[in-house]
Amino acid sequence: MMDTNPGLREVDVSVSINGTQVSHRVPARLLLSDFIRDVVGLTGTHVGCEHGYCGACTVIVDGDAIRSCSTLAAQIDGSAIRTVEDLATDGELTPMQQAFHENHAMQCGFCTAGFLMTLESVDPDGYQEKEQVIDLLSGNLCRCTGYHNIFNAVCSTWGVDS
Amino acid sequence: MTLDSPMRINPMIRHRASHIGRAVPRREDRSSLMGRQRYIADLKLPGMLEVSFVRSTEPHARIVSIDTGPALALPGVHAVFTGADLADVELFPQKILYIQPVHQPALAVDRVRYVGSPYAAVVATDRYVAEDAATLVATHTEFDPLPTVADLDQALADDAPRLFDDWPDNYLVNFPADKPEVRKAFEEADHTFSDTYVSQRQTGLPLECRGVLADEVDGEFTIWTSTQSPHIVRTTIAEMTGIPEPRIRVIVPAMGGGFGTKTHIYPEDVVMPWIARKLGRPVRWLEDRFENLVSAVHARDQRHDVDVAYDDDGTIRAIRCKAYCDVGSGEIFMPGTATVFVTGGVLTGGYDFRNMEVHHFCVVTNKTPSGAYRGFGTPEGMFVMERIIDRVAHLTGTDRVEIRRRMILQEEQMPYIMHGGGRVDSGSHAKGFERAVEMIGESLERVRARYADDPDVRVGVGYTNYVEPTTPTYHLTTGHWAGYDSATLRVDPDGAVRVGLGTTALGQGTETTAAQLAADALGVDPDDVTVVMGDTDRAPYGLGAWGSRSAIVMSGSILMAADRVMTKAQEIAAHMLEAAADDIVLTDGRFHVAGSDTPTVTWSQVATAAWVRTVDLPQGLEPGLEMSGYFEPPELEHLPGMDGKVNAAASWSNGAHAGVVSVRVSTGEIKIEDYVVVHDCGTMINPMIIDGQVHGGVAQGIAGAMFEHFQYDPETARPLFASFMEYLYPTCSDVPMMTVEHFETPSPDQPLGVKGCGEGGTIGPAAVVAGAVDDALSDLGVEIKATPVTPSAIRKAIREAADGGGER
Repeated sequence: MMDTNPGLREVDVSVSINGTQVSHRVPARLLLSDFIRDVVGLTGTHVGCEHGYCGACTVIVDGDAIRSCSTLAAQIDGSAIRTVEDLATDGELTPMQQAFHENHAMQCGFCTAGFLMTLESVDPDGYQEKEQVIDLLSGNLCRCTGYHNIFNAVCSTWGVDS
Repeated sequence: MTLDSPMRINPMIRHRASHIGRAVPRREDRSSLMGRQRYIADLKLPGMLEVSFVRSTEPHARIVSIDTGPALALPGVHAVFTGADLADVELFPQKILYIQPVHQPALAVDRVRYVGSPYAAVVATDRYVAEDAATLVATHTEFDPLPTVADLDQALADDAPRLFDDWPDNYLVNFPADKPEVRKAFEEADHTFSDTYVSQRQTGLPLECRGVLADEVDGEFTIWTSTQSPHIVRTTIAEMTGIPEPRIRVIVPAMGGGFGTKTHIYPEDVVMPWIARKLGRPVRWLEDRFENLVSAVHARDQRHDVDVAYDDDGTIRAIRCKAYCDVGSGEIFMPGTATVFVTGGVLTGGYDFRNMEVHHFCVVTNKTPSGAYRGFGTPEGMFVMERIIDRVAHLTGTDRVEIRRRMILQEEQMPYIMHGGGRVDSGSHAKGFERAVEMIGESLERVRARYADDPDVRVGVGYTNYVEPTTPTYHLTTGHWAGYDSATLRVDPDGAVRVGLGTTALGQGTETTAAQLAADALGVDPDDVTVVMGDTDRAPYGLGAWGSRSAIVMSGSILMAADRVMTKAQEIAAHMLEAAADDIVLTDGRFHVAGSDTPTVTWSQVATAAWVRTVDLPQGLEPGLEMSGYFEPPELEHLPGMDGKVNAAASWSNGAHAGVVSVRVSTGEIKIEDYVVVHDCGTMINPMIIDGQVHGGVAQGIAGAMFEHFQYDPETARPLFASFMEYLYPTCSDVPMMTVEHFETPSPDQPLGVKGCGEGGTIGPAAVVAGAVDDALSDLGVEIKATPVTPSAIRKAIREAADGGGER
């Protein structure tokens, strides 16, 4: 199995992650989520389903929100990655993070990073209608909040009439 | 009930402002927002190996052979253990006397009874290699398939294959009933009807799967596990493995939700420390979502065969309900047997109705074991009751609101003893319903107007009035004779307070609410309170977080401990102020003699004397300022009395839900246009957190009402799901915005009047959605009898109503 499994071949991955350049030699089959969490050590990105459905593992790669659990680290060599750890500056929360706190838009917190990165990846100007916000949020699963307060947090931050 | 159970804040403590009742923002949020919470998957230890469990691919089979050779030959694999290696480690403490004995080894030996049953464990350098090796074990396992049992009918057939050879049949629980007064009502009533109502298999599915990290050093074990009951995990591991309990420390990291599914003692909780000891290395297992779908407990798989006796005027005279729960293979502790009793006990919800005869059955099948899930039998029961009420209203031409008005509990009936002994201590049932009717009436008109020009769309409204039993006995579920929980309060020399709790947190904001309680109970600021829980070495022994119990047990135990701390603090302060202890009051954090604002001493001065300046203590007083309270809620009963009745919950919250749906007849598309909740959980500790519990509960109720369904192939008992692709977990587009209002009827029995609120939201939606769809499609003769109410189910119901010539 060892000899025949191309996933065990090692590849070099060099990326910028939250502004810091990192280079690692990793198995070709290593998922980006595991690269971020286990190799780089940033555990704020969570893995909820490992099949690209729940969105908890969402990170931003070269400006786009992607599912890091269904992306190989090898695929994003040379890219710039942003994770939830990159949002607050010197401990100061972003307006969206603050709104999540004030609106009680999180309970267990496991999905929160994924929602925040999805929201971070878009231009709010394209989401000024309530239905647009609902569509945007529908790519991430939350089991605790019923989405009610997440929706409110987004609308209050982006000035959308809810 | 202890004699000094305090019901309220010590009157010697005076505040400028109370923290209880305020929407205090959560202290838990910041770490999650910044990605700094530590969940089980974020924890590693030096030298750690990773474990992958090998799970049965057969629904029912004998294990003929397992060849671990190929897996062991894989580079990076350290060990493979099979059921035979742990054959002496049982998982199922034989404590529950009313069920058939289930002898379940930690890993299946010789025989598997559901797809997902763990029968071997692979240990490797990392999870990738461990999963490679687990696949090799699976492909080198020879099974001898046995006949399968995929559902209740198959399980109860005369010639049904038996899951357990030493049982006479497939009943795990078999409690028929016979009530003469019910039989009499059926003879006397104007009419009767019989029907069957079904709730489908679904479950909690927290977004974080389970996980265990175990380590053993010099005979002392540390086990990090995502559980709602750390102390009970510890006790059970000790009992099942013989490891002395004080040598086991169980720690719950941050939890990504639980919803009941993490209250059970799972095989992995016991196997992982066993492996750690065997290999002398820390080992970690992280459940993947497929494993979670097939091996974390399922729930709600119930059928209710109902006979109803009623009169021409819409009076329901008697209900006979044969409630069957398909508990899957039953191989889990705690077993999934208790939910059906809750269904039977609370089926009548917020209605004054007692002429009930409930038969309780739990039946084993070749499916994932069932167990606890938010609502715990109550949503299933409320669906049945509201279906019955709507049917009787229809059959007798009675208005659906009016028939409910006649039946709903009135304030002057409190405390109301339900048919099964449930003691509803107080509530706002009638006025809550009226408010919900009023609120939904307005939106019903709006929605009707919106679709007035679209003949393909029908609009309807549905209602439910439920009670939510909270803080239940642990006896029904586990055999443990207890219902208490605990708090330890310590005032440190700087005057800040440390609260240790026996309950635990899984995302419900317990740290924030506990700090509010402790702040008021000791007259300090919440910022000066630190809360620790979920660690058997740092927090006092307790039963954990389940059954909407934390609010009551935390309130009681914190108040008890605070009273004891206060009594001692008064003694110390009195000595410092040269006064009598009885004259000492605490105003905004300072002790002084009543009636005289100065001089004062602070908590810090008192605590400093208690810990590090004992020369300031009164002569003979023991140093230290740390006290515990173990609060067993009053009114809670553990076992039925001679009359068979039991009040198995300490208090009873209540709520009215109402919803408007639109249904597109041509496609069956259904949309919840508006949803209102009028909620009453007694005294509210933190209204913001309570609203959050209601929102999330309603969303999960809607998931059960309209979307989620664990389907199995009826021919093979194989799961027809392997991911979220086949299991419709609702998204933001599926859950409506809802309006939540509260009444606040304090419990007369429980501390501060608190009742609990974790599960109420889930109870209503199935009943409301079914009622609203029936109403929308009333002219087509549609009657919903099962959840989930999907577009295809609606289309089928429309076709059947047309074919059946309008049976109703």
